[in-house]
Amino acid sequence: MKITLAIKKRDNPYIPIEAEAITTKTFLEKKPEDISVWYGNSEQKLTEIFDVRVEGDAKSEDEVTIIMSGNCSAVKRVGEYMNGGIIEIEGNIGHHCGNFMSGGLIEIRGNAESWLGREMRGGKIICHGDAQNYCGSGYRGEKKGMTGGTIEVMGSAGDFTAETLAGGEVIIRGNTGNLAGAEMIDGTLKIYGDAHLPCANMKGGTCHVYGTAYNVLPTFEYKGLIKAGDQASQMHMFNGDIANRNAKGTLYAAKYEFFK
Amino acid sequence: MHSLLVKNAYVIDPLNNIRGEIMDIAIKDGKIVESVKDSAEVIDAKGQLTLPGGVDSHSHICGTKVNFGRYMSPEDMRAGRGRAQPYMYPVSGYSVPTVYANTYRYSKMGYTTVLEGAMAPLEARHTHEEFSYNTLQDTLANTLFDGNWSVMEAVAEGDLKKVAAIVGWTLAAVKGFGVKITNPGGTEMWGWGKDIGCIHKKVDYFGVTPAEILDYLIRANEMLNLPHSAHLHTNNLGKPGNYKCTLETMQRAPDLNDKRQTLYMTHVQFHSYGGSKWADFCSKADDVSWMLNRKPNIAIDMGQVMFGKTTTMTADGPMEFNLYRLHHNKWSNHDVELETASGIIPVHYSRKNLVNSIMWAIGLELALMTKNPWQCMLATDNPNGAPFVKYPEVIALLMSQKYREEQLKTVNPDTEKRVFLPSLDRELDINEIAIMTRAAQAKALGIVDIGKGHLGVGADADVAVYPIKMDDIDPSKDYQKIIDGFSQTDYTIKRGRAVSKKGDCLVLGDNATIWVKPKISEKNDISKDPEFMKKFERYYTVSLDNYPVQEEYLHRNICIETETGI
Ligand SMILES: [Zn+2]
Repeated sequence: MKITLAIKKRDNPYIPIEAEAITTKTFLEKKPEDISVWYGNSEQKLTEIFDVRVEGDAKSEDEVTIIMSGNCSAVKRVGEYMNGGIIEIEGNIGHHCGNFMSGGLIEIRGNAESWLGREMRGGKIICHGDAQNYCGSGYRGEKKGMTGGTIEVMGSAGDFTAETLAGGEVIIRGNTGNLAGAEMIDGTLKIYGDAHLPCANMKGGTCHVYGTAYNVLPTFEYKGLIKAGDQASQMHMFNGDIANRNAKGTLYAAKYEFFK
Repeated sequence: MHSLLVKNAYVIDPLNNIRGEIMDIAIKDGKIVESVKDSAEVIDAKGQLTLPGGVDSHSHICGTKVNFGRYMSPEDMRAGRGRAQPYMYPVSGYSVPTVYANTYRYSKMGYTTVLEGAMAPLEARHTHEEFSYNTLQDTLANTLFDGNWSVMEAVAEGDLKKVAAIVGWTLAAVKGFGVKITNPGGTEMWGWGKDIGCIHKKVDYFGVTPAEILDYLIRANEMLNLPHSAHLHTNNLGKPGNYKCTLETMQRAPDLNDKRQTLYMTHVQFHSYGGSKWADFCSKADDVSWMLNRKPNIAIDMGQVMFGKTTTMTADGPMEFNLYRLHHNKWSNHDVELETASGIIPVHYSRKNLVNSIMWAIGLELALMTKNPWQCMLATDNPNGAPFVKYPEVIALLMSQKYREEQLKTVNPDTEKRVFLPSLDRELDINEIAIMTRAAQAKALGIVDIGKGHLGVGADADVAVYPIKMDDIDPSKDYQKIIDGFSQTDYTIKRGRAVSKKGDCLVLGDNATIWVKPKISEKNDISKDPEFMKKFERYYTVSLDNYPVQEEYLHRNICIETETGI
């Protein structure tokens, strides 16, 4: 089953659209005219906001593909709790895309707003542009963020990338902002560009910074140059964050500067 | 002139000795009356359990402490979400929910009066601002005096009249209701990173002991003729072996009032611990309830712990620091200049955990081993032991031995060796539950005379109709029906109006704040005392003029003026 959602022109493109209904499962269970989304403070039919085209049939979520086109940067919570199938987003996507997803693939051609793949459990998200803050992290106050699956961002990511990461893998091909991997407890974070204040207060897990790790906290214990990661050169290894009892985290950096 | 008739009610009204009579309750202009004319609005209670509105004599619902709990636990707001509907704002949160969530949930459970357990005088304005949104219960605030510099100095001078003058002026200034003493002396020591230990250690610099602070505040409380007694959170909360400190505190409590207790001890579960460390931790509920049974001048609340996530919050700063060291989770710490302290941490009470399981048992033991239900209130020290929405489960546990046995099978298996609960076969009846959830609380707070906690003619028309038919059920076996029934009233009536029906609010609500104003002579007016004024100039960050809470913060309010003789 292939569903094409082309967003219609709106008078005010900044009004948020809460669209947790846009997941593969919804289209398996409901007709497009029975699906509703919140447009600002009013509940509206999906077909009021999008031109919807449905082709073919499906027996399971894995057989459903959703293609979203147009400027969807105000469309939030797409793919929330998704279990299987594919969502392809041709342009940008709004906040909280792939919240709690546990299976399937979300591929974003443009940029993603904050909270991409927050508290993800499994499956894969690929973002070809940049991701904003809190990519692959837990929600506010949560101790255990993403626990499984993979997020790969081809561009850069904002602050608090993979905060409270507890499993799975987050790969950022560009740079990250401040505090990537903060409070992480398990899982893998790979940053191919630069990072600032990486892994503050980490308790476990592994982080690779292939560019420069700036402002490494003094509570990281330097262990020496070690062959690690997927590049030829050796990397500097740190244990941390020893502000925690029994900290078991590891930070590798191609280059680094301690916090001054 | 609004009138209402609640027909066919199965009424339990302990203060008027009514135990399950089918009767009609006539209401006019917010008060209970003998009869009303035929034109009155009618609610048919259909023979269901009808009680005076619930009174909670110790809960934390409003003020800076609760609000800190909110900021530091945004994850708590993921639970308990409710959408807006007519007369209800959207709500969220479980252990530290929004103010509206608290007031709606209490109302749904039939509660119409709630006392905030700890208000720092300096931060009183915030409490009153939140009170004004707690629209469906009348509110009262216990005011903290445990580490008050002026009080400790007056105690050191042995000047009881001066202690009374300070307490009296402060209560009226901050629109407080009762005298709260949290870890006396310990909260001042916390300003120096220390705790006080038990009741005969001296507070640094002031040279007074917790026992002296408490003795003076109890007597000052009576000198001021306050409706409520001194309200104590004993030293050493949560420490193994603290029962000795609790017993000695109880032993010392004088008997100075013939209408109510002279000392209210709160969340006594947290103060009834045996052992010398966590490894040999055990219940001493037997010794504490034995003492309570021979001291009619003391009333307590259970401070029941229920399993699950919650947030602990108290003025007891050093205790929260100990908890922080145990859990290594987030922690908020606060020193209230010249007055008290505070701390907050989130906790998760787990059935698998032996210590938590013992704590759960101790609360129930206290209620079951206290012979006179008028001496033991049902409360969880919301949200410290559990959010108040767990009260229906606590009620069911007290009414059904079978339910307790089933629950005991689910807790840490070593619990049985450390507690008395498996050997207790007492099952409380509905009259005792009504005492422990409203009548005794109103009596302990001293608000029966202003019409709380009963359904006699002249009382405030605060009524709860629960969907429980006592004649059709056996609470011992049908405990689930007790839980469901107490979780949601068919009707909650507040000041003569139905304010909530099957969990939905019917009005926006209009509560009243009850506060006290002791009448103190000009010559004992402490706010005119040069030394007292100097304290504000030298140490406080606010001026004496800005300290009192203006009456406009209170909206509707009931001021209880007392004759003091000073
Ligand atoms: Zn309390």
